[in-house]
Amino acid sequence: MDERMKHRTATIAAYLLFFAVIFALPFFLNSFWTNRVATYLVYSICAVGISLSWGYAGILSLGQGLFFGIGAYMLAMSLTLAVPENNPVPELMLLNMQPDAVRDLCCVTPGSFLWIPFRSVAFGMIAAIVVPCVLAAGLGYVMFKRRTTGVYVSIITLAFALIGQLLIINNQPLTGGFNGLANLAWLEIGGFEFDPYGPSIYYLVAGTLLAVVLVSRAMLSARIGQVLKAVREDEARARYLGYDVENYKLFIFCFSAGIAGLAGMLFTLTAEFASPSLMATSFSISMVIWAATGGRASLLGACIGALLVNFVGSVASESPAFQPVWPIVLGGLFVFVVLVMPNGIAGIVKDLIGRSGKARAVGQEVYP
Amino acid sequence: MNAVANVSRPAAVPMAAMPILQAKKLTVRFDGFPAVRDVDLAIADGELRVIIGANGAGKSTLLDLLCGKILPSEGEIWLRERNITGIGEAAIARSGLGRKFQTPTVFKEMTVLENLQVASNRRVRVFENLFDWLPSRPSDKEAAVAERTGLLGAINRRASELSHGQLQWLELAMVLSQDPKIVLLDEPAAGMTAAETDKTAELLLDLAGSHTVLVIEHDMAFVRLICRTITVMHQGAVLAEGTAAEIEHNPAVIEAYLGSAGLSHA
Repeated sequence: MDERMKHRTATIAAYLLFFAVIFALPFFLNSFWTNRVATYLVYSICAVGISLSWGYAGILSLGQGLFFGIGAYMLAMSLTLAVPENNPVPELMLLNMQPDAVRDLCCVTPGSFLWIPFRSVAFGMIAAIVVPCVLAAGLGYVMFKRRTTGVYVSIITLAFALIGQLLIINNQPLTGGFNGLANLAWLEIGGFEFDPYGPSIYYLVAGTLLAVVLVSRAMLSARIGQVLKAVREDEARARYLGYDVENYKLFIFCFSAGIAGLAGMLFTLTAEFASPSLMATSFSISMVIWAATGGRASLLGACIGALLVNFVGSVASESPAFQPVWPIVLGGLFVFVVLVMPNGIAGIVKDLIGRSGKARAVGQEVYP
Repeated sequence: MNAVANVSRPAAVPMAAMPILQAKKLTVRFDGFPAVRDVDLAIADGELRVIIGANGAGKSTLLDLLCGKILPSEGEIWLRERNITGIGEAAIARSGLGRKFQTPTVFKEMTVLENLQVASNRRVRVFENLFDWLPSRPSDKEAAVAERTGLLGAINRRASELSHGQLQWLELAMVLSQDPKIVLLDEPAAGMTAAETDKTAELLLDLAGSHTVLVIEHDMAFVRLICRTITVMHQGAVLAEGTAAEIEHNPAVIEAYLGSAGLSHA
């Protein structure tokens, strides 16, 4: 029993330490690194979503990039329209319209009316979370009601991310195509402008990460967290206890998609662009690698994994010799983690803490 | 948990007016091969029924049909006046059927308490569980079930650390915490020591009356311990039904399954 207390204390201490460091960092960083770390924290948010669906409920989605990308585009559309020279019609549409088309959002290019509600930034921000959720609900409903599980879920989600990417690339007059949306205004709320290179964006992202982690932890401490773990352990058993497993999977899949959308929206603010590359297969797989490295069934581990892998990656990419090798290193890291440390960094830390107590059994519960 | 107090043993063949569980002309074919053929079964409220039969007689398949794991090709399953054919495993479980599998099926990476908590929670919808804080101690009901199955001392241990016998008990404990009207047990004594087998038999006799119990068993020693109405299955169909004495002297049963020496040597 006192070992459980010890474990609990260590967990809380780890969370406090992590967030203390995160909130103190901008005091020690220049504006370039403040922006970079803010982007890594965006990835951390996304990794928390993956940890929830994969680590806790056993649903490995390789299409998180689709939800992340949609989130990014939703806000990017609003911020495109917030640039004065993009009125009444964004430049990307002027380049692609028919010569005789009316210069109005309603009909300048086919489908351009879809942009009209994005004149409101608030709409863009809400859509960044709601649209991924709704899409995940539809996709999840079809998959889970048919009892699609395991690797098939991964393949279907991966395929859908590719479809999303192709739709965006192939609809240039509507989406900006391959170039994405890059000429964006700063986010302005109540007269306050968020500078992507200043501490304001950083704290917006860090605060969001804290909120996402707290809400997720609260959820996992409720009965639903236990049922999700049960579903991960043995779906059929959970069914014979009366649980509609599909609904639980659907819920966590949507929740995770919403978090990815939220992260994508914040990405638009730190990186100042949205492009189809966010929906690329490689990016979705990278997200899974972040979570796996940190420890997929640990929210904090997933956060740290995302920070660490991206930090090392960006430092490595600075040397021209190393840059082409990085994807191979990343892939190798994934194989290594899966084979050697299935519970990631968090699992190793937990083992070290546990070792001072008593020897532990293999295949034990992962870090919470 | 009303089962704790009730020790009354029902008569050998208690037939209430309305059976609690009924299989009507139940048939399932796998690639044309009938694994279960035209099975009619009526289980009375509070009955303890044992189904015996050789390997491949369709006993487990019958349980799979009853709990919704597989859909019948023909026939219906009724729970009192409700047709539960094809309503889905979860809905069948909610309407009062608890199933214990032959190989212990528990949540291995969770503690005994967590396993019981998942099982005893009867509010099964997503949003009911979203804001329902999880207690760190067992409820009275969970403690009572753990006590009864001898798992109270191991309540904070991970299921993966338990012995095979304990795993059988844990799954049984989970089914009991579910508080089902009908308990379906697939070879509950498999892999248990003689002492554990005796204890299981005692528990089943204890359950009968307050619960309706349907047991598949291979081990005739165990069947004799809980000896009640026996249904004999052979090649997917019901061959005979009756008390142990009747079954023992049924020529068809002797021919098909028991051998001339009767129950005692099966």
